[in-house]
Amino acid sequence: MIIDVNAWTGPLPALVNVPYDAASVRASLREYGVERIFMAPLAAAWSANPHLCNANVYESADEFDDISPVPVIDPTLPTWPEELEKAAGHRAVRMIKLLPGYGGYELAVADDLLAEADQAGLVVMVQIRIDDPRRHHPLAMVPDVPAGDVVEAAMRHPNLKLVIGGASATALRDFAAQVRDLPGLYADTSQVDGVDSVKMLVNAGIGGKVLFGSHAPVFMPAASMARALIDLHDDTAVGIMEDNASGLLSV
Amino acid sequence: MTLASLRKKLLPDGPALDIHVHPLNCFGSYRVSSPGTDAERLVATARRSGVTRMCVFSLYETTPYEPTAEQCRLANDYVLRMRDAEPEAILPFCYVTPAFPDEAVAEIERCVGGQAMAGVKLWVARRATDPGLDPIMEAAVAKDVPVLQHAWLKTTGNLPGESTPFDVADLARRHPKARIIMAHLNGVGYRGIEAVVDVPNVVVDTSGGDPESGLVEAAVRRLGPHRVVYGSDAPIRHFGVTMNKVLGAGIPDAAKRAILWENALRILKLDRREER
Repeated sequence: MIIDVNAWTGPLPALVNVPYDAASVRASLREYGVERIFMAPLAAAWSANPHLCNANVYESADEFDDISPVPVIDPTLPTWPEELEKAAGHRAVRMIKLLPGYGGYELAVADDLLAEADQAGLVVMVQIRIDDPRRHHPLAMVPDVPAGDVVEAAMRHPNLKLVIGGASATALRDFAAQVRDLPGLYADTSQVDGVDSVKMLVNAGIGGKVLFGSHAPVFMPAASMARALIDLHDDTAVGIMEDNASGLLSV
Repeated sequence: MTLASLRKKLLPDGPALDIHVHPLNCFGSYRVSSPGTDAERLVATARRSGVTRMCVFSLYETTPYEPTAEQCRLANDYVLRMRDAEPEAILPFCYVTPAFPDEAVAEIERCVGGQAMAGVKLWVARRATDPGLDPIMEAAVAKDVPVLQHAWLKTTGNLPGESTPFDVADLARRHPKARIIMAHLNGVGYRGIEAVVDVPNVVVDTSGGDPESGLVEAAVRRLGPHRVVYGSDAPIRHFGVTMNKVLGAGIPDAAKRAILWENALRILKLDRREER
């Protein structure tokens, strides 16, 4: 069973003529064998209140058994404890997502939220980037979140399960030692690119901490699958595409 | 779906020619000891993704934005040695700089005329609007080879000598007999496609940037499948990721075949070249 830890649904201004409703995203991933989809609301990136966008993924989970909602929670909104409580109480939520770049906050601001998520047994994904800043709209530029900020958060919250979402191959190679040594720190493949890039992460000793993420519908499912599968033997590929996520997210 | 069937789905069902590849000694994390090792490793990696042939150009090992003529010459010697190691797979392109037009023309004569290189590569030393490109384009036309021109449209700002797609359109209009490959579909984006819609001697390669959904379809819709050609920009990008931008696109199989193979043969005039 292939598990995608980083899919989305909903609109993003940069997406042109690409179906982004949950059913379409699900169908596009199932075409490549994905059987469990962790799905976050893309509209949350540009919303003044990302919590309002979470209804979309909760409804999607009601409609499809293979979709697990990944609500986006903003620690600068005073209602984050309620939103976190709602997530923790939902039957299908295993992970929440933070978008510090789009929310305009430093990750350190989220320490209370991270502590509460840890207490609630939720995994937290911090999205480093959604799309390449070089291709942003000139009036809507959002810098990447430094991967080092997530590493530091993992050090402050050693029991928390924390996923670096959307980091580049270079960033993950730079922090490979920390990903390997900090037991709760993981990373996804969604924006890892370059020749043999996932294989190099495996060779760097973090194959057990890397999770398959498609970044669909922003990125093409076929391409995301290729980066995770082509250079690896079956057992290693199964680890990245299923076993690591299965263990982390109790699938 | 088994892993084996998924692997098969991610590979082309015929040959594929990647028109945009760099040596491992220019980019990426592998350290290679020689052009031969570089070629063997690059080709082995490409074959895992179904790439059977590739156009390779070096930007010199330190990739300076303003290379000297000597650095271009050494870069070209490197890819010639790569071709010696993998002659069935590697089609070398000749890297020149418009900063030194006379030397560039001489280098094209040496590499294309003398060594049968398959094309000319221009990077970021000068924008495509610069008159220093004109003698280079004339030499390429005389030698009947295409020119691959780097292009990007960066919100964060292009380099001073970095061409936009609008610059490439200007170049193509100045040289209507030239066959121009505009690099980086995912770097020039939707505006870049529009920039070259009415310039028929420009094709766009599929390299550059991330595998964004919808862009290959948009290029095919606006330019036609005959004006889109597969390029990876490996080793910066993964051969298989870029291959699956094409294979995973919502376009007819015939268009995929054209992009992965037939268009490159036509642009490179490969059948005719190999009869020589």
